[in-house]
Amino acid sequence: MAEDIVTLKGIDKTFYRGKEPIPVLQKLDLDVPSGSFEALMGPSGSGKSTLLNIIAGLDRPSGGSVKVAGAELSKMSDGELAKWRSQTIGFVFQSFNLIPVLTAAQNVELPLLLTSLGGGDRKKRVETALRVVGLEDRMDHYPRQLSGGQEQRVAIARAIVNDPKIIVADEPTGDLDRKSADDVLTLMEKLNKELGKTIFMVTHDPAAAERASVQRKLDKGALQ
Amino acid sequence: MNLATYARRNLFRRRGRTILTMCAVALAVLIFCVIRTIVAEWNAGADAAAQDRLAIRHKVSITMQLPRHYVDDVRSMQGQGVKAVSFANWFGAKDPKERVPFFAGFAVDQNTWFDVMDEMQVDPAALADWKKPENKNGAIIGDQLAKAFNVKVGDKMVVTSDIYPGDWDFKVLGIYTPLRRTVDRNTLVFRWDYLTDDPRATFSKDQVGWMVARVDDPGKGPDISKAIDAKFAEKDDQTLTMSERAFQLGFLGGFSAVLRAFDLVSLGILIVMVLILANTIAMSARERTHEYGVLRAIGFPPGHILGFILGESVLVAVVGGAIGMLVTMGLINGMIGPFIEENMSSLFPYFSTPMRVILTAFGAAVIVGIIAGIVPAILASRLKVTDALRRLD
Repeated sequence: MAEDIVTLKGIDKTFYRGKEPIPVLQKLDLDVPSGSFEALMGPSGSGKSTLLNIIAGLDRPSGGSVKVAGAELSKMSDGELAKWRSQTIGFVFQSFNLIPVLTAAQNVELPLLLTSLGGGDRKKRVETALRVVGLEDRMDHYPRQLSGGQEQRVAIARAIVNDPKIIVADEPTGDLDRKSADDVLTLMEKLNKELGKTIFMVTHDPAAAERASVQRKLDKGALQ
Repeated sequence: MNLATYARRNLFRRRGRTILTMCAVALAVLIFCVIRTIVAEWNAGADAAAQDRLAIRHKVSITMQLPRHYVDDVRSMQGQGVKAVSFANWFGAKDPKERVPFFAGFAVDQNTWFDVMDEMQVDPAALADWKKPENKNGAIIGDQLAKAFNVKVGDKMVVTSDIYPGDWDFKVLGIYTPLRRTVDRNTLVFRWDYLTDDPRATFSKDQVGWMVARVDDPGKGPDISKAIDAKFAEKDDQTLTMSERAFQLGFLGGFSAVLRAFDLVSLGILIVMVLILANTIAMSARERTHEYGVLRAIGFPPGHILGFILGESVLVAVVGGAIGMLVTMGLINGMIGPFIEENMSSLFPYFSTPMRVILTAFGAAVIVGIIAGIVPAILASRLKVTDALRRLD
């Protein structure tokens, strides 16, 4: 059995509106085995994105322990978390979030600027990542020159270019038509099965969730 | 690609806004330079005052005169560090045809004036000619004044005075050459005896307006000043001796309010520059908050975000400042300056922006860039990643 890459124990997360506490996650436990492709579903406001942010080191829980890829995140400073994210996590967002003034290749190269790799090595990695997502012929295109599906594939290339241990995807097909969504999900399956990437995906889309090997449901801050 | 590529692309993401902001900075630098040039040129005489010269005037006011024999009394202080002494009276010269709105006219001691005021160079033959007894109405004038009066050596020129009545006839015997750029090229210098012997000048009979003393050691100037003033302390007409710089600044005293106003306007321009730039940078940072959230999410530390925003602010200021510098040098030093020197030489015999003013303006632009960018940069870099990612405007 594969080792767990994500281990959450007793996670609480409470937001505050003024002085009024709003509990979002309550005593949540979660184990995600390495190499799995998991989908997390749930109604709006159930805490899906909050959970995703905690796993990805973007947010801190109010209580509990977060261990991802062998690192105890609650003990890290903001600077250490930023470095950890750049080496461990690949992000795929709903609205692609490409930088409009940079080409596809430059967008993919962005995470590599935080490494010590030279220009030649970075270029090779960028070409490889774009080849994996089938966009090697669009390297010099700007985001505005790409379709939504292509933009999301560039975003996936950016997410994998650093060879992260885990890819977190927040509604990756939410802004796409069915055909493009299928292409993106096929690509994610390929990353999971062929490259062994652990993928943790938040989605509203049952069809997208079905493509994952594990489906989980979150409601009122607790996993069902 | 490197991080600078991203910063550079960001700079022209809103091309029109960036260019307009750069133009605003350039214009502010230009206006700042113009104002500081006026102040600098106004103070140029005082700034370039000789270190080894003292001015001696009546203790009560520059408008009161001193007895002529005081000159000899000061000359007798050679053992106390006084090297040479000359003197002059303010003539209040005016051009009867009003070709020159204002120019300085001095009645001076022809035997010593150009030795003491050696930044005004005169042809030795012309000087010797001027000292001859028969040339009592001889005058040595600056080249700009000669041009304005359209006279040359040997010509007569008529000048009036707002102190002494009637027309005063002079024969131009020489044109002095300035050896320093701060020397006024619009001055009329004539013999003191021509004034004091004239019945229209009984007011100034055997009186001098002020004395100029050259000293051996500029470092001893304050002690010599005290000694000179002590010499006349018990006399009816007491003296006030000061450095030439202090004397020049005394003349500028009447303009001090104007100069102070110029200082405040300069400061105001810098503040306006900060506000314009800060507004632009704050808008840019706000528009890109979501994008900075994405960068933070993929691992960029807060320092990089701070660097991007601050760098952009400084870059806009530097480019705008550089444009302002070039425009200043081209417009003021190349076009307006020569025009002012040609047509307003009595006010500004020289009008060019000193390099120190240009560099100060550029330095101020850089500092403005830092001040304008620092707050938006800190705010954006400190924003929580999840909050930044939620920001969609």
